[in-house]
Amino acid sequence: MKQAALKMGPPDRIASYFRLQAPTVALITCTGVLYNVGMTAGPYFEGQLAQRLLDVMQGACTWADMARLAALYVAVIGLVQGLRCIKRFGVRHFANHTARAMRRVLYNNLVREGKAAMEQEDMGAWMTKALADVDACAEGMRKFTTELFDTGVVMLAYLAMLLWYDWRLTLLACLFTPAAYAIAGWLKGRVTQSSGAYKRSGEQLNRATLDRVSNGLLYRVYGREEGRDQAYEQRLQDYEKKAVAANLWENTMEPLYHIIVMSGVVLILYWGGRNVTGQGWSQWDLAAFTTFLACFAKLAAKSSKAARLFNAVQKAQVSWQRIRPRLGAVVHNPPPPAEEAGRELVVDHLSFAYPGGSPVLRDVSFRAKPGQIVGITGPVAAGKSTLGKAFLCERPYGGSIRLGGRELAEMTPGQRCASVGYLGHRPELMSDTIGENIRLGQPGDIGPSLAAAQLDREVAAMPLGEETPVGSQGVRLSGGQQARLALARTLYQSRPLVVLDDPFSAVDRQTEGKMLAALRQWGQGRVILLISHRLDRFPQLDQVVWLADGASDAGTHAELMERQPLYRQLFLQQQQGGDLDEA
Amino acid sequence: MKRKPAMVQAAGQAAKGAPWVTGAMAAAIGASVVLALLPPLALESIVNGLAGGQGVPLSGALGYFALLAAAGLAEAAQNVTITIYGQKVTHWLRRAMCAKLDRLPAAYYAAQEPGAIASRLVSDVDAVDALFTNGILSMVADGCKVLSILAVIVWKSRGLGVLMLAVTPFLFWLTRRFQKRMLSAQMEHREAVARVNHCVPETIQNIRTIHTYGRQRYMEERYDRAVQQSYRAIERSNWYDALYSPIVVFTSACVVAVMMALAASGGAMRQWFGMEVGTAVAIIAYVSKVFEPLESIGMEIQNIQSAWAGIRRIDEFLAQPERPASRQDLTLEVLRRAPAAIRFQNVDFGYGEEPVLQGLSFTVEPGKTVTLVGRTGAGKSTAFRLLLGLYEPQGGQVTVCGQPAGAIPDRVKRGLFGYVEQSPRLVDGTVADQIALFDPAIGRQQVRQAAEQVGLHAAIEALEQGYDTPAREDLFSQGQLQLLSVARAIAADPPILLLDEMTANLDGQTEAAVLAALEQAAAHRTVLSISHRLYQGLGGRQIPIGGDCR
Repeated sequence: MKQAALKMGPPDRIASYFRLQAPTVALITCTGVLYNVGMTAGPYFEGQLAQRLLDVMQGACTWADMARLAALYVAVIGLVQGLRCIKRFGVRHFANHTARAMRRVLYNNLVREGKAAMEQEDMGAWMTKALADVDACAEGMRKFTTELFDTGVVMLAYLAMLLWYDWRLTLLACLFTPAAYAIAGWLKGRVTQSSGAYKRSGEQLNRATLDRVSNGLLYRVYGREEGRDQAYEQRLQDYEKKAVAANLWENTMEPLYHIIVMSGVVLILYWGGRNVTGQGWSQWDLAAFTTFLACFAKLAAKSSKAARLFNAVQKAQVSWQRIRPRLGAVVHNPPPPAEEAGRELVVDHLSFAYPGGSPVLRDVSFRAKPGQIVGITGPVAAGKSTLGKAFLCERPYGGSIRLGGRELAEMTPGQRCASVGYLGHRPELMSDTIGENIRLGQPGDIGPSLAAAQLDREVAAMPLGEETPVGSQGVRLSGGQQARLALARTLYQSRPLVVLDDPFSAVDRQTEGKMLAALRQWGQGRVILLISHRLDRFPQLDQVVWLADGASDAGTHAELMERQPLYRQLFLQQQQGGDLDEA
Repeated sequence: MKRKPAMVQAAGQAAKGAPWVTGAMAAAIGASVVLALLPPLALESIVNGLAGGQGVPLSGALGYFALLAAAGLAEAAQNVTITIYGQKVTHWLRRAMCAKLDRLPAAYYAAQEPGAIASRLVSDVDAVDALFTNGILSMVADGCKVLSILAVIVWKSRGLGVLMLAVTPFLFWLTRRFQKRMLSAQMEHREAVARVNHCVPETIQNIRTIHTYGRQRYMEERYDRAVQQSYRAIERSNWYDALYSPIVVFTSACVVAVMMALAASGGAMRQWFGMEVGTAVAIIAYVSKVFEPLESIGMEIQNIQSAWAGIRRIDEFLAQPERPASRQDLTLEVLRRAPAAIRFQNVDFGYGEEPVLQGLSFTVEPGKTVTLVGRTGAGKSTAFRLLLGLYEPQGGQVTVCGQPAGAIPDRVKRGLFGYVEQSPRLVDGTVADQIALFDPAIGRQQVRQAAEQVGLHAAIEALEQGYDTPAREDLFSQGQLQLLSVARAIAADPPILLLDEMTANLDGQTEAAVLAALEQAAAHRTVLSISHRLYQGLGGRQIPIGGDCR
């Protein structure tokens, strides 16, 4: 399945999707042309049948002639419809396939987009729109391929047949068609305008719906539900008005074109009648008259719908232009290589600033040996979390971070993610089971990780155990359970360097102690950086990095107690407060 | 009591609300049915004249065209009125669903993804909408056309009438069969699409974890499962869609062939099928007119199926159990006159089988501050939800200002509690709307005051359009978001303040600012907090909660 997406040409070219499905497209072309040329068989045979009936009644033919003709008619129609069936399935299959390919490309690009880029724009809203655009594109491509044959080819076939019967009459009768197109062109502005307004109103309605639902409980506790319902009602009214206007323009135009195009029928009846009675330009029998008339009616019906072809293509084009920049080349990074544990971490004169902001970290240096747990703390706004994120290399940093002697920024993304584990404030859980949230698709026993994160007893008590679904963003778990589940995942996805940003914020001190003991055991051969503002376990850590004003001071707890008065003050303050918190 | 299906109610309400539109629609459908019959009859006499060796008079040609034009216009009128009526129906459905949101219990919101609920209001109703724009009502009209044409056929040629009546059950059976198969495919597709759509926000929210552990490929595979499911479901329904219409056309050709063969056979059959050439031409036109609507049913079958699936989901949604009604006679005046005390008496509660709170009792006296402490999962947030009336206690009682929490109507809650959320989220509106929550009772002056109290005023004024700037996540830091939610909580000056655990790790002076704002907001109010981080600043009593908090 994956290979299909891999082998395609540049995804931002429409042609790539056609090439991806070359056999299907070829099949559609063959059956489409054959079927539509065969469409002329209907009017032709119907004319012949009427003529044959007249001949039988006049005694010029026998019943057997009629039966033969009827059998032939059924056979030909059966063949034509068989072709049609294949063509219809081909076209739908092609559209379905294209939508799937586009979805895959979009997602492939999305999942590789950097965190920084995502923060810059509202990716969520954009992607939701993009998925709808994919449907519109696929639908546009389906309609285009359908109409290309069912309108384009078939109109040519009908026209050729008409010309063959009587070219002068055909030209005369078709004189009205350009008039219909002229009016259509003239009114196009109005149609697009009203359908644009309709679409915008729909988007607003969707936003209002999502807001009303996702903030439902917030509105409830603030007693604002009724008020929001009224606002929603206004959106609904606007939407109804715009929808009716847009549909009015779209629906009334087509019958109008049809009537204009069909006015040629007056000439056909009049001159065609003269042809039959022998006073016209051509010698016709009744079969020719009926066929010509039926054929013209079908041509008129098609040509008044030709506008649909252009509409479908236009709509698809708008959608295509919107998603095209997002359809970058498909990337498949190889899975991360095996990790090498036992690497030393050296942070040397590290500095960091957000784009356009003043530096958050100016000069941070420390080193840690495998097996060590390093506490990182500091007063508020010291840049603790920023330091933690620096190890992810989402944005460039100054100075150097070396792991086992290799610069983090110079590693490939694959090497980096085999080296650094990270747990931030948000647990970032998937709407899947507890087990899957820890494994992330890598089979193995999650028992030890659950135990280390102090989650094993609670999971065992759940009726479904580790198969318990956690819900969207983990809503079915409590905040503390979410945090511990995320910790269990971090431990399971073991890496030589692990950054834990405030992993104990939602647990009590007793649990915190057990977790630290488990981390100590688990962390052999690894470097663990523990970012926290709760200091009472810091005396047990191998090293403490004190951050203040973007600069660092690294040492043991005892050393910092002497050197950093603020550290000492915070530590003692928490020691006093701690007794109360223990309750 | 059995509820009427939502569609039936909606159709009735729309007809009642706009009798004029409904009448016009009925008239247009009637006109288009009758007018569709006439052109072939005109054609019959023209062809019969030609077979008799006479030419076509200009008046005949013009008359035929006039009939065609009239039929076309009637059809256009039919489509337009159906669209208008359809919009009225979907409008009613959406309004009813929105009103239902008010009555759903909090547990429903906890169990469903917001996207999934929203998609019921958006996609499912859109599918019903499509039913009207190019579906069901035009099919009813088409059905009338079929019946009237069949009547004309029986009148013109009894044999053909019998033939048609024999074929119709077959086509009906075929249509039903296709419908059923496609319905199940459609349902599966819709489910898969909902999953595909859910994958995207999840990926964006969890992108750091995905990148850190190099799980891009894994995520793609997860996503692909949903995409693949939808692909297969569509492929299945494609088969039926591709087959249906060709079968109908082929059947129509068979009927014409048999009719012509029998009409030419002579003898008794001739009596039955006997017709002149003109009649034969007209009848061929009629036969295709009978099958055209059937064919268009085939064309629209996908729309109809998805609309049907949508209707079922809408009904399911509207049939959800509702939360108990609050006491509408409780006014803010009555409640505020009572002392603003919070009391839990022997409260038992659990979300499922597992009890979360057992025999919890405590009281917060007016003007006092209390912090609930306990290990995670002990039920601190649950106590909040009971207090806010989102859930009902299973045993014991939770009272606020002397009234059971569940009985307090939503509309007075804001004047009673200010609730500072765990992780504040923006609503869809301007910055001022974040604080006022669109409450007309809270004017710009109060919004400003609240912003000043939490120290956000200067930051908001510095925005491009001040308070009228459309709110976006990136305008605010985590700390400022927290401040906004404090401003939101105190804007209506409630006597009680509820402080949830703050999960956001606040960078910068904002943490200090949030603490200061909360301390200030807490003064002169009854405060219940579950945030141990705030405890030092707020002071007051601590109450342990949950059995094994030691």
